Amino acid sequence: MIMYILQVLINGILLGGVYAILGLGMSLTLGIVKLTNLAHGEYIILGAYASMVLQSALGVDPILSLFISVPLLFAGGYLLQRLLVNRAMKDGAESALLVTFGISVILKDALLLIFGADARHITVSYGNESIMIAGLSIPLLNILLILISGASILFLEHFMQKTMTGRAIRAVSDDTEAAALTGINVGHMFALAAGIAAATAAVAGLSAGMKWTWYPSSGGHYLLIAFVIVVIGGLGNVGGTFAAGIVFGLIQVIGGASYGMLISYIFLVVILTLKPQSMFPRIKKLTGGRGNDAGR
Amino acid sequence: MMPAGDRTKKGLIVTGVLFMVLFVIGITGIGGSNVLRYGFRILLYITIGEMWNLLSGYAGLTSLGQQAFIGLSGYALAVATTKYGLFYPLGIVAGLVISLGAAFVLSFLLLRIEGMYFSITTWVVAEALGTLFMSLMYVNRGAGMTVSAEPYPRIGTLYLMALVLCFASMITMILLPGSEFGLGVRAMRDDVQAAESLGVNVKRSRRIIYLVAAGFTALAGSLFFLNKGTIYPESGFDIGWTISMVFIVIIGGSGTVAGPVAGAVIYVFLSEILAHYPGWSNMILGAIAILMILFCPQGVIPAIGAAVRNSAKRRRKGSDGCRELDY
Repeated sequence: MIMYILQVLINGILLGGVYAILGLGMSLTLGIVKLTNLAHGEYIILGAYASMVLQSALGVDPILSLFISVPLLFAGGYLLQRLLVNRAMKDGAESALLVTFGISVILKDALLLIFGADARHITVSYGNESIMIAGLSIPLLNILLILISGASILFLEHFMQKTMTGRAIRAVSDDTEAAALTGINVGHMFALAAGIAAATAAVAGLSAGMKWTWYPSSGGHYLLIAFVIVVIGGLGNVGGTFAAGIVFGLIQVIGGASYGMLISYIFLVVILTLKPQSMFPRIKKLTGGRGNDAGR
Repeated sequence: MMPAGDRTKKGLIVTGVLFMVLFVIGITGIGGSNVLRYGFRILLYITIGEMWNLLSGYAGLTSLGQQAFIGLSGYALAVATTKYGLFYPLGIVAGLVISLGAAFVLSFLLLRIEGMYFSITTWVVAEALGTLFMSLMYVNRGAGMTVSAEPYPRIGTLYLMALVLCFASMITMILLPGSEFGLGVRAMRDDVQAAESLGVNVKRSRRIIYLVAAGFTALAGSLFFLNKGTIYPESGFDIGWTISMVFIVIIGGSGTVAGPVAGAVIYVFLSEILAHYPGWSNMILGAIAILMILFCPQGVIPAIGAAVRNSAKRRRKGSDGCRELDY
């Protein structure tokens, strides 16, 4: 019995890696661009389809498909932000939110039209293999997925902290006007951040697609998961996102298929209600720092 | 610019005349059942559009979760009529009461949350309700429920009910901005802190707006599902309801009474035309909405209004140049 509980808990923690990568892109867009990208769920589904198509077209392991799907989604995310969302953000946060809502609707139906309504899954030969560690049976896939997620998060953290571009992106996020005065192209940086967020969605799509089946309409489901994780973990906080992923993974294994999501929805509403402001120190800074043009 | 009182009076007169004309169409059934069927849909979409407009355009509460009340009232109607064998108007009343109760409880949670987080959380609440109904045996889980009524209301009756509901929502929207309460609400949308310091009870005003919107949306939801006859968790708590509300208000013009009317007419006819291209309709609606936000953010009604004013100004300018200052 104890062994069984231990096994369930370990799998919940390992699944946390997948949930963390689902939330990572959302956390970036919210933390840096100050935008709720309602199309992020569709980006994730797009990533899953991209890996599926590349796997069957090239006959390679789906993990290798990331070398193509990540740049592809990065480009898509960059262009949508640069051409559409940046323009709407001039009219205020609400217009931008509604534009991403429109993008989400368009992508969802485009995917339905191209791939049909069938359930999909990325199948790999090692998908059902398990490793025995100290008498516990742990699925190989879960270990692989937390490694992918951990590597992506470390890479991103390094990029944001150590590279010139990463610093410029953070500067724009901290004080848009001051960054613009130093000659940083704000529109370009916002688009880069959105592109990176979309690139993480490619990784998230692959991970989720290997773990669960999906439909063209699953984007909303993943968007809400991402949002819950961002709220639990805090904005732009990479370590927090990882911890939140693990909490979420545990909620899912404890609540099971029928109540896992419901519990996390309730969890989210309770957190937001109890700590509506203190949860998001950076949002507060935004209203003070960037002035009314951002709030309107 | 006309004084606010005159505009309210003019709005009420126009609305009253329109109501009489549409009422006569409903009673006599001129134009046949197809006209009534289109009219029914348009009237209900105007209602939910006006209510989303009230939340987002007037009070700054951009909700993405109004489908919660459509689903709740639709299910209340189905449960009351099928499980308890009640007469359908009682089912509609039950839906209204349950939705108002839910909105009252939710308002204590949701109205504490600001901005984008409010938007997402409203959506989460609606999704959570959908998930709950999916696993609740009481409402047949995912298998859905039917609405029973004996005799089943004809399209003419449905049309008249929708007409009354729609005009009640429009009159609310016409009277509200001129009233002291409405002025407070608009002040609150523009600057919460300033409004609060001037004595507007922000919490109470927001709660009232949220409840009014929930009530009308719930009634519209009951009528939708009374016409449809069946309800499932995915159809009741569908984010698609919000998509249509957003589209209607953005196309027509946010913050005006006439906006959602134009928006709903365009929406119903456009989706009818687009039904011939299955799969493409939402994509085209989404693209139109994005283009409107980027290039015509005020919506068609204010844009037409501005164009008319401009041409009138140009004509006046021909005869009397001094009038130029009067804008």
